[in-house]
Amino acid sequence: MQNGTPYNTALKYYSTDIHRPLVKADFSKAELLQNYHPDYDEHSMAILQSGSNRGDRCHKQLASILQASERAQENDFRNANIIETDVLVIGGGGAGCAAALTATGAGAHVLLATKLRLGDSNTIMAEGGIQASIEKNDTPQMHFDDTFKAGHQQGDTALIKQLVLDGPDVIQWLIQQGMQFDTDNAGNLLTRRAGSTSADRVVYYRDYTGLEMMRTLRESVLNSNIMLREYNPTIKLLSNKQGQCIGAVLHCLSNKTYTVVKANATIIATGGIGRMHLNGFPTSNHLGATGDGLALAYHLGAKLRDLDSFQYHPTGLAFPENLAGTLITEGIRSAGAQLLNADGKRFINELEPRDIVAAAIIRECVEGRGIFVSKKSRGVWLDTPTLEQKKPGILNSQFPKLVELGKKSGINPHHSPLLVYPTLHYQNGGIIIDKNGQTTVQGLYCAGEASGGIHGKNRIMGNALLEIISFGRRAGLHAAKQQAKKNKDPDQCHSILRNTGRSQNQQVARQYSPLLFPEYTGFNSSVKKND
Amino acid sequence: MIKPQLNSVLLHDHSQCGTDISKWLSSIGGKGLETALQRPSSIIPEIKAAKLRGLGGSGFPTYKKWLLLSKQHNNNNRYLICNGNEDEPGTFKDRSLLENTPHQIIEGALICALATNINHIIFYINPDQKKSLDNIRACIAQWLASDYLPKIENTLGRSLHFRVMASSGEYIGGEETAAIEAVENKFPFPRGKPPFPVQHGVHFQPTLVNNIETLANVPHIMRNGAQWFNKLGKGNASGTKLYCLSGDVNSPGVYELPMGTSLNELIVKYGNGICGKQKLKAIFTGGPSNSILTEQDLQMALDFDSVALHHSSLGTGAMIIVAEGNSIVKHIAKYILFFSKASCGQCPPCTTGIRYLSELLTKIETGHGNREDLDILTGLCNILPYSGRCHLPNGAINLLKSALRHFQGEFENALRSTTE
Amino acid sequence: MTNKSDKLNSVVSLTVNNQMITAPPGNTVVQALWHCGKARIKGIGCIEGVCGSCRVLVRRHASSSVTTELACQTTIEENMQVIFPPLSRPIPHQYQLTEITNERDLYAQFKQIFPEAQHCRHCGGCNISCPKDIDVEQGVRFATDGNFKEAGALFFTCVMCDLCSDACPELIAPNYVGLFSRRVYTCLHMKPANLLQRIDQLNRDEMDVVLPKNTGTIKDQ
Repeated sequence: MQNGTPYNTALKYYSTDIHRPLVKADFSKAELLQNYHPDYDEHSMAILQSGSNRGDRCHKQLASILQASERAQENDFRNANIIETDVLVIGGGGAGCAAALTATGAGAHVLLATKLRLGDSNTIMAEGGIQASIEKNDTPQMHFDDTFKAGHQQGDTALIKQLVLDGPDVIQWLIQQGMQFDTDNAGNLLTRRAGSTSADRVVYYRDYTGLEMMRTLRESVLNSNIMLREYNPTIKLLSNKQGQCIGAVLHCLSNKTYTVVKANATIIATGGIGRMHLNGFPTSNHLGATGDGLALAYHLGAKLRDLDSFQYHPTGLAFPENLAGTLITEGIRSAGAQLLNADGKRFINELEPRDIVAAAIIRECVEGRGIFVSKKSRGVWLDTPTLEQKKPGILNSQFPKLVELGKKSGINPHHSPLLVYPTLHYQNGGIIIDKNGQTTVQGLYCAGEASGGIHGKNRIMGNALLEIISFGRRAGLHAAKQQAKKNKDPDQCHSILRNTGRSQNQQVARQYSPLLFPEYTGFNSSVKKND
Repeated sequence: MIKPQLNSVLLHDHSQCGTDISKWLSSIGGKGLETALQRPSSIIPEIKAAKLRGLGGSGFPTYKKWLLLSKQHNNNNRYLICNGNEDEPGTFKDRSLLENTPHQIIEGALICALATNINHIIFYINPDQKKSLDNIRACIAQWLASDYLPKIENTLGRSLHFRVMASSGEYIGGEETAAIEAVENKFPFPRGKPPFPVQHGVHFQPTLVNNIETLANVPHIMRNGAQWFNKLGKGNASGTKLYCLSGDVNSPGVYELPMGTSLNELIVKYGNGICGKQKLKAIFTGGPSNSILTEQDLQMALDFDSVALHHSSLGTGAMIIVAEGNSIVKHIAKYILFFSKASCGQCPPCTTGIRYLSELLTKIETGHGNREDLDILTGLCNILPYSGRCHLPNGAINLLKSALRHFQGEFENALRSTTE
Repeated sequence: MTNKSDKLNSVVSLTVNNQMITAPPGNTVVQALWHCGKARIKGIGCIEGVCGSCRVLVRRHASSSVTTELACQTTIEENMQVIFPPLSRPIPHQYQLTEITNERDLYAQFKQIFPEAQHCRHCGGCNISCPKDIDVEQGVRFATDGNFKEAGALFFTCVMCDLCSDACPELIAPNYVGLFSRRVYTCLHMKPANLLQRIDQLNRDEMDVVLPKNTGTIKDQ
């Protein structure tokens, strides 16, 4: 994609303009998605050959992980230490912490195991804010309608209904954990508009909402009785002969030992898949976002959904190249920043649903109206200087993280536009859950990005942070009430996929499941060295 | 006549007069001061000829600092800080002098004042040394009441002021610019040099910071002359040295011996050898901010220049002996922990860097270390030297680097078998 | 914009934890490690500068100063030396927000929870070590003066990297003082009317959500 305008040339022709009109669209939204959104690229999709979702459409790269051999075999952990607990939480982000805190608050003994450190997550990087319908001109019904519509009417309505009704209580709970939000002089929570929504509904803390949430929740966990195991990825879930989930196997990265955890209930809160770099996209996600929970649950026989639906956030930084994929919050478009092609023209309503905007940007670049730096680096302008002109001081006061990103890039967003391109950001689908976070496997729960059904085929800003707390708490509460299983003995410990048939090719897969870390970290090759 | 080798000057019975000034003056006291009073201009040349060097650890020629200060134009207030902070592990010589021979120190300070026109003498003593503090206070009162004081003030042409203060007890308080901060009633943060104290010290006035042992030698030099002092030492070294022997020896203690006495003689003849007839494994020298020595260095002369040739430093003259059967890793971990707690905080590379060293060494020492920990340790040794305002990190790294060099195998063996 | 032909064939050599690596210029330390296949998991997190896991000590060529930085934000330079230190283990300061119920007792409780904070020796090391340029010492001073609102606000960009805690000779954990300050202030003072009114309405079942026709839970039990 070397067509388009070179960066320096485009920059020369750029100018601010506070009255830039939006040209009427010459395309339908459906066409835009069909032709330009990566989810619609049939070459990147496959049909699952085995497991509970056999026959379903799934991204190729994800399919190969879901169907790959499990990392650990029974011999590896035959002599492992055994820990017994009431609730095992897998994942130390927002959903994991909310689940663990609620479970321990309900009297359960909780072990939280995480692959990296407590708090290493996508939660901590979230910038936009969290949705809750609290303004007078807003209602939970409107919140529901916006969510359902943006998801292309594919979301689970019962889950969405519960989510939106939970919103205000979730904010209250976060405040009780000590999380601060931006307020006006009267102490009311400030709200801003998310793309494709009908009211201002996103409450926030500067553009550091995720950081504030995560450091608060982490402190709550550290001040509780929750047992913590960091650098202990879960590499396998265990089930008994009855097919109920009875716990998991952890692998300690420091001393290479295994631990078997037997739990009445296990909650998967492992987050997203960005570091799989689907379709070669850069990602906004943290290092650990490799879809581990999906693979673990799939091998246990849980059913998943929407495995062909991923969110590419429209505004990932595209230049400088070593920062490619870094997220720039949608909040800045909510505040009025516009997207411009190389000709200095707007081409899409910036507050359309994210999939529409992302597809529109890709279209501009494919059709030669984009700006390019190199083969790998191209995009469109995010017009921050015009926003600053319209609302002087807004960048420093509401978007300090963006200003910092500018400093690091050597680009001053007050004077210069930023080059942006879609970045792999969120997994819309995931493990199927009910209102209490229960999956299709008894004893196994899921909360957060790893779960599916709420966002349909496209998520709106602020619903992810709401979801992790809302469903994290509910899963934690329900899990805490689970009685001990009568049969705590793991079944032969082979993956359920063996029983549902697998093609020869897939058995020879070089990958292990779960992935744990992207290939370029060298982790998998070092594991092989030590085998 | 063969003079006795041990305790021949500073710790000689003639010097051990306690706090009674009359006893001191009727013994060998006062004569050096009188010589100084007669010809103040001869003091510095005499100290120079005597080749007296800083005995608090630096080994810096004493006369140089005195000369530089005396040449300063600023003559409002000039300060002498008699540095008795003495917080280095294994060092207890200044304490011996302050407890048993306070008067020779004071006389040395008075002679220094005459040489440099200093009008403020401050005794700066570790707060744990209650006896030393009481002694000095009692002794100064007697000097103030003596006939010498008017004579000194007359020669100086102005009043002489004394102050006795307890230091904070922080190790870093022994560093000369930190001592100056402490005298100004602030936390003893090292200031960083330049400017040097002789130019800008206490309240930005010219200031000398001299060690207790250094000052104690001064009245003897003025009484008996530089040549006499030179002959006391062995080889090219001058005078005597208070060596602090401790650790795995049968007879630990303070030994005043000719400067340049061999390490072997100190350990075998005076220390009565290693405990349990064990072999010698290592010697931590001088404080322990220096490279460690091993049995290959046994014949080495314990004077500044000879030890420097062996890639270490005499420092305070403390020798902590470690016998075979001891873990060097454990000892190093202990001393690095000491440095970690001693770091004043001004320079994050020092505070954080040495803290990380301490954590890593504890990890290795307790059998939980891995290859990467050793790599990080080595990496820190490469980046920390000269990253701070004072020499604390440099000393810590000297020690650790030398241990890694001499006992690499021991560190390796302490690592866990599985790697990260 | 970098001229690619100038940079062709050029690599930067540096050491990380005493191991030499090479990578193309323009990369951050984290990217450089990936480039040469060094499996490094500890000390890598969000790669965006907000999680604080990748704190490093850095010494640049021909300089004697050592700085504390975040590896994901640090561009590699020739002959740079980088150290990933051991994981931080700050001294835990245990408290329950539910036990802090009013301003009157707050100050006394603070002194019990963070007794070290009273002994700040004003060395300024925390300020120098902070990779976010926070005036950490001032933050601690606010808290020890009882100004918890100001203390919390000052730490708003804090990524909890623990460098200030590691740099403190008095063993104060300044970043946790800041976090505590903000949490207690929020807990005691944040009572947004718009939120509380909506919660009240919901509790009275005054607001409901009507589902579209022909929809329901898709999940198969």
